[in-house]
Amino acid sequence: MREPVRTIQLSVNGQASTVTVPVRKTLADVLREELRLTGTHVGCEQGVCGACTVWLDGEPVRSCLLLAVQAEGHQVTTVEALGTADHLHPVQQAFWENHGLQCGFCTPGILMTVVAFLREHPAPSREEIREALAGHLCRCTGYQNIVRAVEDAARRLRPARG
Amino acid sequence: MRTVGRADGWAKVTGRAAYAGDVRLPGMLYAALVRSPHPHARLLRVVKDAAWSVPGVCAVLTGEDVPYGTYGRRVRDMPVLAREVVRFAGERVAAVAAHSLQAAREAARRVEVHYEPLPAVLDPEEALRPDAPRVHEAAWRYPGAVVGPDDPPNLQSRRVWQYGEDVDAVLSRCPYVFDETYTIPAAHQGYLEPHACVAWWKPDGSVEVWASNKSPHRLRAQLAACLGVPADRVRVMPVYVGGDFGGKGSPMDVPVCVALSQATGRPVKLVVDYEEDLTAANPRHSAVVRVRLGVDGEGRMQALDVRAVVDGGAYAAFKPVEHVNLNGFAEAGNTYRIRAVRIESLIAYTNTVPRGHMRSPGSLEANFAVESTVDVAARALRLDPLEFRLRNVLRTGDRGTLGEPWMEVRGEEVARAALAALREGEGAGEESTADGGRWARGVGFAFYCRAAHGGETEVELRPQPDGSVVVRVPFPDQGGGQHTVVRNVVQRELALPAEAVWVQQADTEELGTDSGVGGSRVSLTASAAAAQACAQLRERLRQEGLEGWELRAALAELARRRPGESVRAQVKVDEELWMNSFCVQAARVRVDRDTGEVRVDELVTALDVAGVLNPPSHRAQVEGGVVMGLGSALCEEVVMEDGRVVSGNLHEYRLPSVSTLPRLRVVLVPGGRGWGPYGVKPVGEMTNVAVAAAVANAVADAVGVRVRRLPISAEAVYRAMQEAGR
Repeated sequence: MREPVRTIQLSVNGQASTVTVPVRKTLADVLREELRLTGTHVGCEQGVCGACTVWLDGEPVRSCLLLAVQAEGHQVTTVEALGTADHLHPVQQAFWENHGLQCGFCTPGILMTVVAFLREHPAPSREEIREALAGHLCRCTGYQNIVRAVEDAARRLRPARG
Repeated sequence: MRTVGRADGWAKVTGRAAYAGDVRLPGMLYAALVRSPHPHARLLRVVKDAAWSVPGVCAVLTGEDVPYGTYGRRVRDMPVLAREVVRFAGERVAAVAAHSLQAAREAARRVEVHYEPLPAVLDPEEALRPDAPRVHEAAWRYPGAVVGPDDPPNLQSRRVWQYGEDVDAVLSRCPYVFDETYTIPAAHQGYLEPHACVAWWKPDGSVEVWASNKSPHRLRAQLAACLGVPADRVRVMPVYVGGDFGGKGSPMDVPVCVALSQATGRPVKLVVDYEEDLTAANPRHSAVVRVRLGVDGEGRMQALDVRAVVDGGAYAAFKPVEHVNLNGFAEAGNTYRIRAVRIESLIAYTNTVPRGHMRSPGSLEANFAVESTVDVAARALRLDPLEFRLRNVLRTGDRGTLGEPWMEVRGEEVARAALAALREGEGAGEESTADGGRWARGVGFAFYCRAAHGGETEVELRPQPDGSVVVRVPFPDQGGGQHTVVRNVVQRELALPAEAVWVQQADTEELGTDSGVGGSRVSLTASAAAAQACAQLRERLRQEGLEGWELRAALAELARRRPGESVRAQVKVDEELWMNSFCVQAARVRVDRDTGEVRVDELVTALDVAGVLNPPSHRAQVEGGVVMGLGSALCEEVVMEDGRVVSGNLHEYRLPSVSTLPRLRVVLVPGGRGWGPYGVKPVGEMTNVAVAAAVANAVADAVGVRVRRLPISAEAVYRAMQEAGR
């Protein structure tokens, strides 16, 4: 009757982790409960809201739709690794300063998508930004400050690229 | 490091902000619930054996095992777990605590519940008939009930608001009477954080609670009443709340979580999944609203009669106001001069999900019905709908429709600002008209006016040895920005930089009073309390002979001399301030003449404002409201079939996404008279209300048909066009 468990190795935020997890446990739950990385939030659990977005080998994925065992051998990155306590990632700074958040529940997932998006699109149009954010729900802001924050983040990142 | 953003911004962008679901205590157990699949049934028997057989299970509780009373925010009519009877599909029947969430959920699946289905009443109009099945045998016996034994069997609340001359008499003299009926469905608040709590019944008999709840002090009182313990035995701890919009003000699942903790002697965490939240929490009331509007030969409104029959669901427990009705109905027609007004709101118990508050409770229901009727009247009288509104709009010096002595009314200025913005946008963003006549275009307006209300709160300032100030507040930031508002006030009062002001939520033992984050009152109460606390702190510095010092040095010196000293200010702001805010919204839409598809191209919001404490935070409240209003207008509906909510996920319950938004234009109309030291007006519940009526009126302008039910779907427009033969 006990659910099968498996011991897996994965890299989380650059650190090798070995965890023993029930095989049906989602990556989101393992990050939050086993690894205590509660910055990754769980909203709809169906891949609609985007709050649980993390990176798998640098690409945004919905961690509520992945089982932890499917992440075995991969590199997982969460919001906790975007910046350091003293030195935020420019995208984090832009969201903070532009009020690109209110209740903050959707924020970590959106940040993960936006950082990856700006890597590929250093000078996005408003339309491209809206398209990039289409898979994320935010009930608080009406999205306008989020789009403004992404535009500002792109500006902050550009000079660094030379 | 620059810190011009929100007070809670750093914690939220780093993932360090703790919500209730993030709390983890040593030895903590995880809970899962068993819910009724039947809207109305007798509970015959619950067999727990199979549930107990799951390894790691520590408690399996049913109603008989819970030693507490019923609970509620005002009317305490909801059992912690159902006893003898279930009254809606989704009601809690049993609860399990186990060492892992997986084990708890598995055990919950194995609880065997035997039901005998009973006839259910699913429609409020039917529920109020004398022969209707009874949802509660004796609803008047619940603590806080506002009905009596002689009322109709399923009445939950009846309110009548009346002012001026006799409505029927005036209507009978009007040459034009418009008699219209509108339907507003249930809707979910759409916060992304599902309800979550952690409860710990400690060995000494005290209870600690972490909950996704916006009113910790009220939660403490509600829990104490349910558990039958003094309020000081319950301590509600600070956490961030992941969105609220009216839906996070109740104890919800906290009492059952406490029961599991008491039964096991361990802390217990209960996080419902989003489906449970969508199907079994406290969505917006559904309502059928009949409006009779009498107009004279000069196009002046004379009389308004509004009768709403409202579905309150199986319990009244989730409503905070004394009469457990919806104050928004009292706003019906309040943007106009009308001699005779009568508004009746009848809320019935039914065997459906209990209803609660959603941002501006009752307002959207009243506004959609009345502002649609006003448009119908204008078109029938061959008057321009905006001109008709302006001819009748309430002005400064007028009494309100219910006799309110408003200190000012800025409807006309705000409407003119909306019109100017709409004209500026003309032609912009529209696609080529070479579409073969597929799209019909239209513009619609709607007015909204809302009163401000007071409340009470407390703010504490603690000077720190580094010259900064820790500001303790008794309320969470559920997204509305109230921690930022407090920081801004303290910054201004003490001339401190943002990084020298740290706002923290206190737990309920630390600060004494607070009416919670609701009714758009916290900017008023908190700005006043913060300003008062700052004045007290300056007085303390003076007493200590530090007034000539540079302020941060003085604060550091005070902290050094008097370690741990703080100042506190409590304020209580009158419930009635006779201050209102006015909002005018205009939608520019196109409608596919064949399919009925509606596209909103532009939405203009003009809003009456006074002092704005934090412009970007204010803007977010305004824009967030507009987008929520679009959701209600176009896509959101909690769909029920046979009394069960079937829109149980975010694929089916569609929230607006960024890719579906029209161009949003927001025009703030400054110069209003606000309240308190910073002259503020509430903003949180303004811009979500009139969007639906503006869009419906624009659809009518485009294709000449009236949609009388929300949301305004392509199907609804298509059918209306078919019926009209267009």
